[in-house]
Amino acid sequence: MKNMRTRMSVFFAVMGPGVITAFADNDAGGIATYAAAGATYGYDLLFTLLISTVCLAVAQEISARTGAVTGRGLSDLIRESFGVKWTLFAMVVLLIANIGTTASEFSGIATSFEMFGVHKLVAVPIMALVVWWSVLKGNYSRIEKVFFVLCATFLSYIISGIIINPPWEEVLLVSVRPTFHSDAAFLMMAIGIIGTTITPWGQFYIQAAVVDKGITAKDYKYTFFDVMLGAFFTWLIAFFVIVATAAVLYTNHIEIETVKDAAVALEPLAGKYASVLFSFGLLGASMLAAFVLPLSSAYAVCEAFGFESGVSKKPKEAPVFFGVYTVIILLGAGIALWPNISLTNVMLASQVVNGVLLPPILIFMVLIANNQSIMGKYKNSGWYNVVAWLFTGLLIVLTLMLLLSSVAPAIMDTVMAGLGF
Amino acid sequence: MAKMQVLGEFYFSRLLGTPIYDAAGKKIGKIRDMAIRWQSSYPRIVGIKYRKSMQQLIAVDQIARCDYGEIRLKEDFSAEKNIELHEHDIYISRWLLDKQIIDLKGSKLVRVNDIILSWVQQQNVQHMTLVAVDIGIKGLFRRLGLEFLVGHCQSNLLDLQDVNPLENWNSYLQLKHDKQQISQLHPADIADLLEDMDYKTRAGFIENLNDQQAADALIEMDLDSQVEIIEQMDEQRASDLLEEMPPDEAADILVEMNAEKSEELLRLMEAEDAEEVRELMRYEDGTAGAMMTTEYIAFPAEYTVSTVIERLRELAPEAETIYYLYVVDEGEVLQGVLSLRELIIAAPDRVLRDLMHTKVMTAAPETEHQEVAQLINKYGLLAVPVVDEVGVMLGIVTVDDVIELLLPEDDRMDLHSWFALSRWRGRR
Repeated sequence: MKNMRTRMSVFFAVMGPGVITAFADNDAGGIATYAAAGATYGYDLLFTLLISTVCLAVAQEISARTGAVTGRGLSDLIRESFGVKWTLFAMVVLLIANIGTTASEFSGIATSFEMFGVHKLVAVPIMALVVWWSVLKGNYSRIEKVFFVLCATFLSYIISGIIINPPWEEVLLVSVRPTFHSDAAFLMMAIGIIGTTITPWGQFYIQAAVVDKGITAKDYKYTFFDVMLGAFFTWLIAFFVIVATAAVLYTNHIEIETVKDAAVALEPLAGKYASVLFSFGLLGASMLAAFVLPLSSAYAVCEAFGFESGVSKKPKEAPVFFGVYTVIILLGAGIALWPNISLTNVMLASQVVNGVLLPPILIFMVLIANNQSIMGKYKNSGWYNVVAWLFTGLLIVLTLMLLLSSVAPAIMDTVMAGLGF
Repeated sequence: MAKMQVLGEFYFSRLLGTPIYDAAGKKIGKIRDMAIRWQSSYPRIVGIKYRKSMQQLIAVDQIARCDYGEIRLKEDFSAEKNIELHEHDIYISRWLLDKQIIDLKGSKLVRVNDIILSWVQQQNVQHMTLVAVDIGIKGLFRRLGLEFLVGHCQSNLLDLQDVNPLENWNSYLQLKHDKQQISQLHPADIADLLEDMDYKTRAGFIENLNDQQAADALIEMDLDSQVEIIEQMDEQRASDLLEEMPPDEAADILVEMNAEKSEELLRLMEAEDAEEVRELMRYEDGTAGAMMTTEYIAFPAEYTVSTVIERLRELAPEAETIYYLYVVDEGEVLQGVLSLRELIIAAPDRVLRDLMHTKVMTAAPETEHQEVAQLINKYGLLAVPVVDEVGVMLGIVTVDDVIELLLPEDDRMDLHSWFALSRWRGRR
């Protein structure tokens, strides 16, 4: 009587919400940002990556723990703890970030099709329709497996990185040595890296996934390792993308113009098939996230405001749910289709937007995780709070610096000089 | 009944922050929250919290005038007239506002966007009571100060009688009528509510149901939720509920759990029930053996109609289906079958041997479910007996077991998407 589907999903029974989120997190924008970082600044941003991975682990752990202890989603808790106005604020922040990220996913889709000579005016509308339709018809679970396998091709960056054999001693040293430039471009890239590693939607998603799996405070200890494993996994891929692009592009002074150039870093492994391999990976990752993002946004909004939600409902029964879902896909695809827009810039800019919008969500999260009446004995410990607040503060400072250096670079230079940089 | 005069109706959200002045016009503070006490069927406001870290409240009978602009007290303010928060009193905004509640009319979980208070005078005594909650979009926009945007929309108010709070802050609030109202809900509705609750609320909720109600609700859920709930429950209660459920359902659930846990639960169950469940757990999924229930009604062929009817009165409350009566010999070998209708219209002194049909459609335990479905469909049966190779009756597969397998309640999204969470699928 052993259930067939139970056997089939053994793999995913082992793989928990932490690792799943890590998979969904290494999306088009992520790969684009890491590749651009490696190509433009060499190994310099590896330290930023390390820090943001530590913070990713902390942030994901907070969300996962909150989910396990309360059995509730993040927007549900924000609504109950902070009331309607703050909830609206959080939702507006989340929606802006998610529309940006969805646009970046459709840009990723467009880019991967362009490598095969398909124009984005053809590819994006069709793929948007595929995403929208497959959720409405409910046969997504079959399609997602295809894209999941495709996005595993990003693992090839690891092999490629090893084949390239960069100066490991230097690479590892730079990884742990703080490196900083004060120009707007570097700041933007740093915020982009943070914004692509730790995302507002990722926080909502991992908490929902923990609740969905029926994980309770009692079995949270397993989820803890799952979350750490997920964070490590995110770091591993990102690390090798940066290393490979740095070694191939930066060292040879090749400037990266579009995301497609990131495929060059796969040549040591795949030779002339590098760009095909890259395109498949980009398509898989983008499609996976293009599906999860609109759905996760719609779910968060409905949970916060008490609207009917669920893809098994009819659009008439859950108008807000399907409305938000559809509008996000339309806006995301619309931005990617905008005439003369640079797809690469959409991918990079959306990660910066995510980074800038992350602090408010982090503040809500940390406040909730510190609430004795919600979390009981599972509330944040002291040093945890220090790390969480430090990171939130750091991100706000970086954001302000970015604003300042874009608006008034001269003042910024004076400030930085004053600080001894 | 004394005449009641309504002095005013207020939205709680709009009262929050309203300044309070005493008779002399001195500003005392503003409305930060209100404490209620559940005395009769409607909770009554006892006092107003007027300063941030002040536990004392202004008694509600001190109010002379109340509108959204200001609250005016009857007398000059002095701290001695304040009242203390009683241990049974609770603050409205912490208990109800923005929280999820059970809408007993629609039998679903809804979120409280606003609360409606009524200020009445009865025999010169003034009360402020909590009469309804706003669960509609109008309440939501009012909270944002944007009510004018949805002026044309209808308010969606729920009378407090039709509301059951999820969090009972103290036993004082667990009124008897709440429990009765919940038990009047259909088990399928209770099942939907349970599936929507977080696991802590659910645990508290199930605790308040009796074993029969809880088991009935569990039966209505899909397998994943059943397993999740049984796993999270304490083992003693879980085993009680499993005993209460039909053995085939219990077996389905236990098979999905890890061996150690299911063994533990089986050990806690009564030996007889556990044995039945164990037997059912042996069969391969999707076969007649796995689908069948061992609860059926069988009699020896020598029984007379009147004896059988007499016995049925004792057995019927327990059995899953009584529309078919099976006839078996001492070795439990199936001899024949007759329907309830045939039994009732027969003369009381006739014996079953003369009434029964001996040509019975049966299934083997390893028969695939499609085949069982075809059998049921072709011969228009309500149930098919399952027999082993020598004809010993093992159980029956009823028509609803087959329907459940053929028409899953929720077939729009495959169950095992990796990235789409099942919560996103929603319930029905």
